[in-house]
Amino acid sequence: MRQRRIVTGGALALAAALLVSACGGGSDSADSAEEINTSPTGDGQTLTVWTYEDETSAMGIAWKKAMEQFTEETGAQVDFQLKSFEQINASASQVLNSDSAPDILEYNKGNATSGLLSSQGLLTDLTPAVEAYGWADKLSESLQTTARYSEDGVMGSGNYYGIPNYGEYVQVYYNKDLFEKYGLEVPTTLDEFTAVLQKFKDEGITPLAESAQEYPLGQLLYQLALLDADRQWVTDYQTYTAPADFHDASWTRAANTLKEWVDKGFISKNSTGQKAQDAGDAFTAGTNPIFFSGSWWYGSFTTDAKFDWGTFLFPGAKLSPGSSGNLWVVPENSDAKDLAYKFIDITMSPEIQNLMGNSGGIPVAADESAITDEKSKELIKNFTTLTGQDGLAFYPDWPTPTFYGEINAALQELVNGTKSVDEVLTQLQTDYDKGVKEITG
Amino acid sequence: MIKGQGRAGYWLYLVPGAILLTVIIIVPLGWNVYLSFTKYRGIKPPEWNGLENWKELFHDAEFWASFQHSIVMVVAMVVLPTVFGLILASLLFDLVGRRFDGKIAGLLRAVYYLPQILPIAIAAIVVGWILRPEDGALNDLLDAVGLGGLQHNWLGSPDTALLSIGAVMVWIQIGYPVVVFMSALQRIDPQLYEAAELDGANWFQRFRAITLAGIRPEIFVVVLTCTVAALKVFGPVYALTRGGPGTSTTVPSYYSYTEFFTAQRVGYGATIATALTVVVLAVAIFFVRAQFRLVDEEAR
Repeated sequence: MRQRRIVTGGALALAAALLVSACGGGSDSADSAEEINTSPTGDGQTLTVWTYEDETSAMGIAWKKAMEQFTEETGAQVDFQLKSFEQINASASQVLNSDSAPDILEYNKGNATSGLLSSQGLLTDLTPAVEAYGWADKLSESLQTTARYSEDGVMGSGNYYGIPNYGEYVQVYYNKDLFEKYGLEVPTTLDEFTAVLQKFKDEGITPLAESAQEYPLGQLLYQLALLDADRQWVTDYQTYTAPADFHDASWTRAANTLKEWVDKGFISKNSTGQKAQDAGDAFTAGTNPIFFSGSWWYGSFTTDAKFDWGTFLFPGAKLSPGSSGNLWVVPENSDAKDLAYKFIDITMSPEIQNLMGNSGGIPVAADESAITDEKSKELIKNFTTLTGQDGLAFYPDWPTPTFYGEINAALQELVNGTKSVDEVLTQLQTDYDKGVKEITG
Repeated sequence: MIKGQGRAGYWLYLVPGAILLTVIIIVPLGWNVYLSFTKYRGIKPPEWNGLENWKELFHDAEFWASFQHSIVMVVAMVVLPTVFGLILASLLFDLVGRRFDGKIAGLLRAVYYLPQILPIAIAAIVVGWILRPEDGALNDLLDAVGLGGLQHNWLGSPDTALLSIGAVMVWIQIGYPVVVFMSALQRIDPQLYEAAELDGANWFQRFRAITLAGIRPEIFVVVLTCTVAALKVFGPVYALTRGGPGTSTTVPSYYSYTEFFTAQRVGYGATIATALTVVVLAVAIFFVRAQFRLVDEEAR
């Protein structure tokens, strides 16, 4: 936690400087911080909230509690509507443009989602509320990246359009029983990691649980590319500050390594026919001892895996895929904005954040000593390590709206051998450039 | 009808249908065609950009590839089900219906029709399990009967993904022609078969001269509706492969969907949808005219 404070301190100074410039950038005076009522009364009013987190998930549990508190504090009722992710994703732009928009909703972070909506003027600029409530000093810098969007809807600069209140990242899940059985230690470098993979292969076990039909393999490719990349490389790739080159050393090495791992049998060719859930199931069944994937699996592994398992950050990585969680956004059409801000503030309060942490989530502003669950501690510790070294590198598919499907398609070709490493990188370059052109014009 | 109102009264009965047709079909169709000439991201008003989208479409290799995949779908959803459907229907009608019991024929017909009633999303999930490369039912079955060498990553390899979806579509479609053809066969005078049998015609000759000729209108209907369905196919691709591996199973409607909802290039998505509509209309007109021509020839 101390490390995080230092980072947030620096971030705060930077944010404050940017806020001054942002506010000086022609936002009308009605939006200034004094206008925000931080103790609104809501008697007789209703706040409509949309989310798409499972009610039994850490977020679902914490937010339910937050809604109860909100009603106690303000007197306003909460009309809570649980939507599906697909439902919100496919119709957000149409719904938020109408008068049936909710007062506040959970929405995906990134250029293709929150960025796009903010650039189209559908979301409220939260900057004054951020100032009034002081949320910025609860969020480390890489968490703030996904909260702010430029006029073109590119993350990392400009006004605040969303507030995250949990985090997520990608790490290695490993089967402790099988590691023990073959006398293996947790690897700390890529070479050691490769040696572990080789050892399992020699024992006739395919070490990595993988899916190329969905996101896992793309995240592994990105992680391998991040091994010898730096923050600037990530910024360029994610926010187009310099042209991304898929034939640079990072991507080339990553794709070659992946290809090598397929050829050596560390990754099954069958992964092209498997969904993320299949890979997760293969890990919990004990078929494959290693699974590199997101913190969102944590809860289900806790209940499903019948063996002892643990987690570690990818060996030798300073940067790993990860980001803030989804955002609270307030539609421009919301007619209870002050109440919406109050609700966000409650979800950021230590009590709610601690509850989230103890329920298996990754809070952004919890009190570490209040987290009592052992497994949750490990999960949060890894996240703190990562944010402490400014290591959240976001996700490979974020730069363009279609890149998710395109990465999967390209990697299926790589695994199947229908395209060479070079052709795959060229394909990714073409898809990336086309998508970025669509955004930046 | 009230006396003295003339024929104008009949038009009243067309109003509900006309209103629904306008609201549900004609207006969206017009809007879609208009959008194909615009740059539109679904939120801010569309900007007119003339033929830009259409130019892009004609040079879009992925679009043409998706149409080639449609041809495989036509084989899987039209040609094979129609041929098998004819054979199955006449076998059920001729052999099972006559030699055994009408009930058995009815039961079999219902069983063939079952996949048509199953929601495609559910059927696709189950098929996805069956075809899974690791511990999927099909691979396990092959292993169990000693054909382990034939195990395959069915939906994950470019050589079999489209064919696998095609095979699933045959299974889904087969019931429809069987049911339609069986009811059509009821129409044919049994005396024709008896007379032909007495004249020494074998089963195949009878099938060609009497069955095929007798149910020609139904064959036309089945081929037309299935072709349209094959060109529009979306559900199985979305649920089973999402167009992968690579782009080896994309079809026009899935491509349109991704442009529309994922890329939020609504204008371009509308262009693909419009192009697909044109193709479907052309196919429909071709079939209907061909059928009229045949009817005319027979009438002479």
